[in-house]
Amino acid sequence: MAIDLNNIGALVEEDQVHKAVYTDADVFDLEMDRIFGHAWVYVGHESQIPNTGDYHQALIGRESVVLIRGEDGKAHVLYNRCPHKGAALVVNPCGNAGRFLRCPFHGWNFRCDGRLLSVPAREGYEDTRLDTRDPQYSVKRVARYASYRGFVFASLAEDGPSLEEFLGGISLSIDNFCDRAPEGEVEVSGGVFRVRQRSNWKIFFENLNDTSHPMVTHESSVNAARAKYKSLPEGSEMPFQLHIIEGNGEPYDFWGALEMVAYDHGHSYMGAIFMPPTDRISLEHQASLEAVHGAEKAREILAVQRHNSVIYPSCSPHTSFQQLRVIRPISVNETMVEIYTFRLKGTSDEFYQRSVAYANIVNSPSSNVMPDDIEVYARCQEGLQTDGGDWVSHHREAGREKAEGDGRYTAGGLSELPMRNQFRAWAGYMTKEA
Amino acid sequence: MATMVSTQADIGRVSQFLYEEAALLDQRRWFDWMDLFAEGAMYWAPLTPDQPDPINHVSLFYEDAMMREVRARRLEEQRAWSQQPLVQAARIVGNIRLGEPEQDGEILVRSTFIMAESRIPFHRQIAGFYTHRLVEREGRFLIAQKRVDIIDSEGVHGNFEGFL
Ligand SMILES: [Fe+2]
Repeated sequence: MAIDLNNIGALVEEDQVHKAVYTDADVFDLEMDRIFGHAWVYVGHESQIPNTGDYHQALIGRESVVLIRGEDGKAHVLYNRCPHKGAALVVNPCGNAGRFLRCPFHGWNFRCDGRLLSVPAREGYEDTRLDTRDPQYSVKRVARYASYRGFVFASLAEDGPSLEEFLGGISLSIDNFCDRAPEGEVEVSGGVFRVRQRSNWKIFFENLNDTSHPMVTHESSVNAARAKYKSLPEGSEMPFQLHIIEGNGEPYDFWGALEMVAYDHGHSYMGAIFMPPTDRISLEHQASLEAVHGAEKAREILAVQRHNSVIYPSCSPHTSFQQLRVIRPISVNETMVEIYTFRLKGTSDEFYQRSVAYANIVNSPSSNVMPDDIEVYARCQEGLQTDGGDWVSHHREAGREKAEGDGRYTAGGLSELPMRNQFRAWAGYMTKEA
Repeated sequence: MATMVSTQADIGRVSQFLYEEAALLDQRRWFDWMDLFAEGAMYWAPLTPDQPDPINHVSLFYEDAMMREVRARRLEEQRAWSQQPLVQAARIVGNIRLGEPEQDGEILVRSTFIMAESRIPFHRQIAGFYTHRLVEREGRFLIAQKRVDIIDSEGVHGNFEGFL
């Protein structure tokens, strides 16, 4: 079927979507313009660029951008392009530009906030139409950027909702991420994993709150972890490493009892799947929060128990294991996911090291859990390209969600509400003319 | 018990050991491979070449005996979807050199490897450096630590499912 790009809304129904949203290259191009050209997209964290000239590269849709600390102490988001001949100004994922950004081609220099500083042999431009004061000869800044508690988002569009309006209720996931730190701040630490998926970016987003897949997709790692546990001495407590793998084997009732909450703009979260831990490291953490806030406030902070949160269409924080996954569409059938681990300021090394262990087990390219996820995503990408059917079902518990009136939509833990909610936002972006 | 170990270890015996180890992995004989490790030994593939330690920084692999066994068991599970078709690999190990041991009674061995890996229809090449710390027990070598530094460790990767 040829896709009518002028009638893109027809691809999304309340409880199903047309396969073209995952497989059609023209639809992908349109997403780059209409979704990634407008939405607030996560760029990086302020802690990655503490000093002037520190930078971190990121992608906003197709756009290569640089998050950089300017001389003014502020984080700026610039297009990675020299305004002279167009060369990319930085090529490393992160680093320090020095006192200014220098183009390696003809030596034009720019302040770290993008403004043109100097052009060699300037007299050559006298009496030409090139005016070095014209902003088009400075490195172009992205239209809007803003930080929410250190998490920097940017929008390529001049107009639209503010970052806080965009985040709405899901901002509580970022708040809770930071509030769990006794000092109220977090910092990126310990390296970043980058993983390639041979599938459309939306398939990964849907999976973040897909509670009816773990027991099926992850049977191999669940069985392996359980078999290993059985071989331990009778009565052993299940080690943390096995527990976080084995948890995927919980039955449907378990997942059905979880909290499932969605917001406008495609955001959502599911309740935590691991009980609040009561081991020494966790209790010390709790005590350090109590020392700062008192017992009641500390309890309130720790009572917010969320597994994956979805901040559509660019990232997913996991508040109780201090990590953030960043999702970058590469092409209609390829996606890159970055996994960042955070240190909660004011917590112990041991506490942080547990987050590192969690990332190693669950998010490393060598994870025993993830390959089966990535495999089923790729199989969807493959199957969707056949003529075996045009529609993808999102019917589970459709129509049973409740609008709570405070911006929240709630549903049963097994509901496919998050998927329907993502496509509601998707259709909103896609049917708006640029 | 004190054993006879020295940096003068026969390079031929050490090389033979590395070749046999590589063959066990190529043949997917995970459990025989795990038997090569000494008690408490870690298998470590850092994410960055200059990574100071495995506990304050994420790693491509950082596995003790328990986690190695979970990996081995998973690879043999009937419903390991990503192992259909199986991942197959062939390694060449070379440039084997003996180094200065960090700890008494250990043999430090550095080598280079190139590994072709296929999961039909996909094919990729993985290359890097092995650093083995070996100990000798009752006339045979055991691995006290195996470190793997692949040359593009910080790149964008597909899954690493078997051991490198
Ligand atoms: Fe999964």
